[in-house]
Amino acid sequence: MSKDSQMRSAINQRLIEMGERERLKELLRAKLVECGWKDQMKAQCKDVIREKGLEHVTVEDLVAEITPKGRALVPDSVKKELLQRIRAFLAQHSTL
Amino acid sequence: MSPAGCSHVNAYKVDNWRPNLRVIYQCFVWSGSAETRRRKVLQNDAGWTALAKSCICHMCGAHLNRLHSCLYCVFFGCFTKKHIHDHAKNKRHNLAIDLLYGGIYCFVCQDYIYDKDMEQIAKEEQRKAWKLQGVGEKYSTWEPTKRELDLLRHNPKRRKITTNCTIGLRGLINLGNTCFMNCIVQALTHTPLLRDFFLSDRHKCEMQSNSCLVCEMSQLFQEFYSGHRSPHIPFRLLHLVWTHARHLAGYEQQDAHEFLIAALDVLHRHCKGDTTRDDNGKKANNPNHCNCIIDQIFTGGLQSDVTCQVCHGVSTTIDPFWDISLDLPGSSTPFWPLSPGGDCGLVNGESHLSGATTLTDCLRRFTRPEHLGSSAKIKCGGCHSYQESTKQLTMKKLPIVACFHLKRFEHSAKLRRKITTYVSFPLELDMTPFMASSKESRMNGQYQQTVDVLNNDNKYSLFAVVNHQGTLESGHYTSFIRQHKDQWFKCDDAIITKASIKDVLDSEGYLLFYHKQFLEYE
Repeated sequence: MSKDSQMRSAINQRLIEMGERERLKELLRAKLVECGWKDQMKAQCKDVIREKGLEHVTVEDLVAEITPKGRALVPDSVKKELLQRIRAFLAQHSTL
Repeated sequence: MSPAGCSHVNAYKVDNWRPNLRVIYQCFVWSGSAETRRRKVLQNDAGWTALAKSCICHMCGAHLNRLHSCLYCVFFGCFTKKHIHDHAKNKRHNLAIDLLYGGIYCFVCQDYIYDKDMEQIAKEEQRKAWKLQGVGEKYSTWEPTKRELDLLRHNPKRRKITTNCTIGLRGLINLGNTCFMNCIVQALTHTPLLRDFFLSDRHKCEMQSNSCLVCEMSQLFQEFYSGHRSPHIPFRLLHLVWTHARHLAGYEQQDAHEFLIAALDVLHRHCKGDTTRDDNGKKANNPNHCNCIIDQIFTGGLQSDVTCQVCHGVSTTIDPFWDISLDLPGSSTPFWPLSPGGDCGLVNGESHLSGATTLTDCLRRFTRPEHLGSSAKIKCGGCHSYQESTKQLTMKKLPIVACFHLKRFEHSAKLRRKITTYVSFPLELDMTPFMASSKESRMNGQYQQTVDVLNNDNKYSLFAVVNHQGTLESGHYTSFIRQHKDQWFKCDDAIITKASIKDVLDSEGYLLFYHKQFLEYE
């Protein structure tokens, strides 16, 4: 594992242990609903299902098609806010 | 795509599978407590001898990439990098669980499988974790029961609500001076919470006879939201009202406000079947703590503080109310002068430019300290004697729907007349300055005006206005009601016409119905 992903794992571990990961998840969830991202994704999913047919579509189809769109459509403001929160957390628990 | 699972999932569901699955959900998927978050697993009887220290892929150590856990052994693998697929093939362990969302993946069927029993366990563990985290109940999407699915299949007709559809709008035939009743019916059928209660069939009738007014209201809502555009003839409603509120019987013109109070009272009394039961399954039969839909929506608490002028002791009582009756300028009781210090007008965005009286003026007058004269001394508990005192009314608890009654009909000993003074009322109303809590802050010297404006609890939106045209002897009631967010309609018995917000706000106003903007779970 590269040093980068080692660091990522360590940070992730800490976030989970201190319960911060759950809080960040909730914050992100709320922000994504607020800005309409969730509704956009729902609409996209419906399109894929219509395209592939309800009886034949698999979760993999949806993941493959929606993931890149989803990542692209997250507003910058939401990214900024999450990043700020994580930075603040790391500053507080600087033993990492 | 029914939650019937697959044969491979069924093969898994043997022996001790339930507690094993629960452990996985508790420790790896929905972790509620700090301990489970540290991911230590000690479950000897299930044969989990390894200590799973952290959720990382056993092949590459990554924690992202849609980590899955094998259901047959202690193995975590990436889904994206196919590490879990390799494991499944090598070990012939064909079931895995997605650690992010708890979905069960079958490698043979090559898709996520929804098994009813497993879904049940997943839901229960999720609720437990939320409780441990202190989150409580979260919103979850509606999942129809078997009966609901049957009903939907047998009734295939669907109604789509678009922005300009007229669902919920229906005229009411005048059965002989019954416009007073028609207006109140229009206001009630457009009260969102009441509408939701009746359209979701929440009334369980316990009355033996056919004279339950709540059942009739339920029917009325069905008629209004049926999509029929012809006016409805509310003869059954009228008959029931005459039966239960004798003082309103007869073909004379009645007071709409009186009708509102009488109707709420009868509905409240007939709601007995809907009161909540306590933990032992016994009904909460306390008349002061009724939890029927009428009380939930319309009942507020009015606080009355009587302050002794000598010892300054305060005696407080709180009384329930369904409406606030406000005196108007021009009545025989003096309206002005109000106490100085009026930021209230600014809070509610009303203009004093035209010199018109505003609703906020009326509310300020209603909640001002009133000196009870020497002829009305109150027995003071502190002084143990009769002393002069001041009395002040404030709102202790605001109802979800606040109804303001402008006292336009004067029935004093000297004269009977209608006060037609124009009172301007806002579309959005902030009740914060009139709350008991605000008064306490002011008395403690804390001027929390800015903070209170940010507090959303006391913000209300206008949704219905009942107007009276004419004189005390002969008049006619009409109403304005709000159908969609900014669509207003004028209801004149059987005739419904589109109205502008200006029409509504320029009208005289007799009964004003406001709805809380933000609702919270208890």
